[in-house]
Amino acid sequence: MTARTLATAIAVEGRKATASRVLTSTAILLMCGVAALAAATTAAAADGNEQLAAKLGPLAAEGGWPAMLNVATQVTAAAGLLAFGVGLSWMFGREFTDGTITGLFGLPVTRPTIASAKLIVFLLWACVASAGLTAAVALAAVAVTRQAPSPADWAGLGRLLALALMTAALAAPAAWAATVGRGLLPAIAAVVGLMAVTQIVVVAGAGGGWFPPAAPALWALLPDTVTAAQLMLAAVFPVAFGLLTLHTWRRLQLDR
Amino acid sequence: MSSARIQARGLTRQFGGGAGVAGIDLDVAAGQIHALVGLNGAGKTTLMRLLLGMLHPDSGTVRINDRPLNAADWAHVGHLVENPLAYGELDGRTNLMLAARLHGASSAQAALIVERVLAELNLTRYAGVRARRMSLGNRQRLGLAAALQHNPDVVVLDEPTNALDPAGVIMLREALVRRAAAGAGVLVSSHHLDEVARVAHRITVINAGRVIGTLDPHGVDIERSFFTLVHDDDTRHERSQP
Repeated sequence: MTARTLATAIAVEGRKATASRVLTSTAILLMCGVAALAAATTAAAADGNEQLAAKLGPLAAEGGWPAMLNVATQVTAAAGLLAFGVGLSWMFGREFTDGTITGLFGLPVTRPTIASAKLIVFLLWACVASAGLTAAVALAAVAVTRQAPSPADWAGLGRLLALALMTAALAAPAAWAATVGRGLLPAIAAVVGLMAVTQIVVVAGAGGGWFPPAAPALWALLPDTVTAAQLMLAAVFPVAFGLLTLHTWRRLQLDR
Repeated sequence: MSSARIQARGLTRQFGGGAGVAGIDLDVAAGQIHALVGLNGAGKTTLMRLLLGMLHPDSGTVRINDRPLNAADWAHVGHLVENPLAYGELDGRTNLMLAARLHGASSAQAALIVERVLAELNLTRYAGVRARRMSLGNRQRLGLAAALQHNPDVVVLDEPTNALDPAGVIMLREALVRRAAAGAGVLVSSHHLDEVARVAHRITVINAGRVIGTLDPHGVDIERSFFTLVHDDDTRHERSQP
């Protein structure tokens, strides 16, 4: 892999991504969905829906910006994994389902280079989607609370942005599953499985920070409960699956 | 130093159930169109996948322009195996631009070669049409354009006439003849002796994963010769079974 071939692959993958309705619509759905759900839930809790307030927990029950940010963080942890997982599944899985994978052999731009470019373009897309999500939640919070954010709320928005980015990285197994499973569906199944296990671990509580997919969400909701070592482990998880994906693309054979 | 653009020796890859290829020797010379003909399931696509590194052989070697596959200069190879490299959401011109870039062309070079191949394969009016809106034949033509536009000196095309109309077949035939005349080694597969196989300089017959003979492209009744070869091979094979 050279800088020139990587730049070419990024240009190619970037062009495909910008033309993709899947990536555009997924990003818009995530941004608007999280903001709308947080706004609607906070407004309902503020209107005295006790059952909802009890489900959301003490922070959300406070109302105002803390409630908005708490709900947005909870929803982002789950919906973000699904949305970013769908995006990554599509980027890798579509080459197999569309049959274009054969055209990615026998090129001076190698398959690991193409896979690296896909991951880089995915991260760029995730940065835009995460920034948009954070901005949408901030705008919705201003609209619902009629208040400007306090310094603590700005910190909460920062954690929401960080959570969205970390959640995008945690979707990395989707790229590997799409390659090994030769299509979209195995990757989507992997993402849904990851979501389910993460939810179970988070609900179980104790020790959840040591489960990499759960650590960012726990940190964003309750920063003091997650250690730096646990967050480091959460960072190793996507790097490991990213490298595994590149290795799988290097060894790829069309034998099925 | 071999003059072969593609050289395969003892190429074997077996799958469960007896499918695959065994002990294939093949040379595709510079300046030649080499047709690989065989019935459905004979092993043509498997062989082409092995030649392009899409499959790893159980044994045997492949050399492209006298270099092993892991050191081949892929910028000078063009291929279309099974599906065209065409993304549905992109128009014809953009698809060709991306294919040219992936073959090592700069943006400026890609723009030039794309305009040239659009004219050569009569695709100019589809340049702005998204691939998913194209007919099967035009998508195939787009895939052939992506494989040929950078004037490769090694061309591998699997059933290239699939879905093409008679005008498309003639256009492809002329494009291949031009590239062979310029020194390219062209390998095309077909499950029948179509127009492209008929312009070949050499015809190799493959059956049940093995090379079973050759046909004279200038022969009087090559269909009959082809079926005789295949029938004799099948009969021999049946007799050798316990």
